[in-house]
Amino acid sequence: MHHTLPATRRVALVAAVAALTLAAGACGSSESPAADASPTGAALVVDDGWVKAVDETASPSASSSLEMDMSSPSPSASGMDGMDGMDMSMPMSAMFGTLRNTTDEDITIEGGSTPAAEMVELHETVKNASGEMQMQPKQGGFVVPAGGTYVLKPGGDHVMLMGLTGALRNGAEVSVTLRTSAGEFALTVPVRAFSGAEETYEPSPSS
Amino acid sequence: MTDAENAPDRAAAGPRRRAVLLTGLVGAGAGVATGAGAALARGREAPPADDRLQRARASARAFRGEHQAGILEAPPPHASFVALDLREDADRDAVRRLLTVWTDDVERLMAGRGPLTDLEPELAAVPASLTVTVGVGPRVVALAGAEKPSWLAPLPAFPEIDRLEDAWSGGDLLLQVCADSPTTVSHAQRRLTAAVADLATVRWVQRGFREPFEGPGLPMRNLLGQVDGTVQPDVTGLDAGLLWVGDDGPAWLRGGSSVVVRRIGMRLDAWDRADRLSRENAIGRRLDTGAPVTGGRVDTAADLEAKDELGFHVVDDAAHLRRAHATAPHERFLRRPYSYDDGTGAETRAGLVFVAFQADPVRQLVPVQRRLAELDLLNLWTVPVGSAVFAVLPGARPGEVLGEAMFA
Repeated sequence: MHHTLPATRRVALVAAVAALTLAAGACGSSESPAADASPTGAALVVDDGWVKAVDETASPSASSSLEMDMSSPSPSASGMDGMDGMDMSMPMSAMFGTLRNTTDEDITIEGGSTPAAEMVELHETVKNASGEMQMQPKQGGFVVPAGGTYVLKPGGDHVMLMGLTGALRNGAEVSVTLRTSAGEFALTVPVRAFSGAEETYEPSPSS
Repeated sequence: MTDAENAPDRAAAGPRRRAVLLTGLVGAGAGVATGAGAALARGREAPPADDRLQRARASARAFRGEHQAGILEAPPPHASFVALDLREDADRDAVRRLLTVWTDDVERLMAGRGPLTDLEPELAAVPASLTVTVGVGPRVVALAGAEKPSWLAPLPAFPEIDRLEDAWSGGDLLLQVCADSPTTVSHAQRRLTAAVADLATVRWVQRGFREPFEGPGLPMRNLLGQVDGTVQPDVTGLDAGLLWVGDDGPAWLRGGSSVVVRRIGMRLDAWDRADRLSRENAIGRRLDTGAPVTGGRVDTAADLEAKDELGFHVVDDAAHLRRAHATAPHERFLRRPYSYDDGTGAETRAGLVFVAFQADPVRQLVPVQRRLAELDLLNLWTVPVGSAVFAVLPGARPGEVLGEAMFA
């Protein structure tokens, strides 16, 4: 069994591997050219990445009020087969961490997939007209500048995992594949209990 | 806010957290350099810089190694002992996940970084010699499917003295958190218990303190005023086998140890009524120097056979020193005690968190404890109210999770 821990939590985002073909296929995305498979030479890495633990039996109380405007263009919405029929009352989670671009070109995160959820979206947290913070899809995706970083954190931008396919258990790991302008990158991040990030989701500031 | 956080910053190649820390260090260094330069320019010697913060930042202890940290180091002045119970439905996988979380969190905290989910990593930025030592009880070993060491059970009862309370006894898991800063201890304890709150609940917490200025010339004193924990086995040398589990123990525990945590209440109000001669007689040591009443220094062996002019032993037959004295070479263990004082004003509630590390507590510690229970003048003023025994996991080598070998 495998339960070792990397000496440093610097997970390389390597190209999608066989284990993730299922997830990629379920989301209807095509295989992208492999990026540099060497962790040290990866174009995109995530430092201190983690996903919030969610008990499969506990559906977030806010989920019953979830509404989604499926017609709104969103980078992650494209190519997601079967999304229209998704039960939006299913529990969700989010991934956080610092994305780091090691190349000389900007990399745009356009979407993603994971075996742990039916859908992955890129979200930002913004203040609405009544002054409340709310989440919404990030138009244009996350642009990780050349040689720079992009921070995903509770209360800020994050990768949303929607319609979890099972529990995300504290101390386990989850695979997430990010679809980017530089190809697909697969990463494995730890799951951690976290009492914050009780996200509510609203698709448009006017609602 | 979000946009500002992620404003294009092509120079920021490193993680934000580390960048902030580095900036802080560079800033502090620059300040010192500027001060020194200005003093030199005036032709005078610079006043001694207060380098406490730099030292506290640079004080990170190594987490990885053959043994866990927090055993061989000189005990820093602040500590918290936290026992937790696994939730009722915990299984083997839950135990492994808990230890996975703690391994990562402890490594980060000891390095002066917050755990992954820490929204206040500033509280972790000064490691202040932080060590976190993880112990496990028999239920954890059973769930993992590993061989239970024969001694991993509550100590035998000592009915003559014990007034044990469940509130201070037992537990499935132990965290020993020690640091030079009480804030560091508090934050580490909070984060480590919250990080596994879905897997384990806190059973008891014992906070303790020692003399911050302890060292040569100022030994550890317990709240009875006694020099305490002075005579120790040479655990980094000839007596290493008294501390670490070796080839005769379960394979998963080699490089590990055991820890006994006993909460010893002190009847300080009664102690106040005893004169110094009676106190020294009860202990068998002088209060001022800690030397045996037969003379010498604190590390001088007591002359247990010495008699006074009336023919009585100089070291009383019921003195703590005599009764605790090892009658065989293996009756020794590494003591790392802390005082506690949870008094309310209306009530005196103080004592000692007795902490002893040894390879086998039944073989090494129990014979001594049995003699003390049978006869020890100090029992007039001390009452054991809590007792717990844990297996101290071996250290995590690079790439390993604490307790990994339990699951082999």
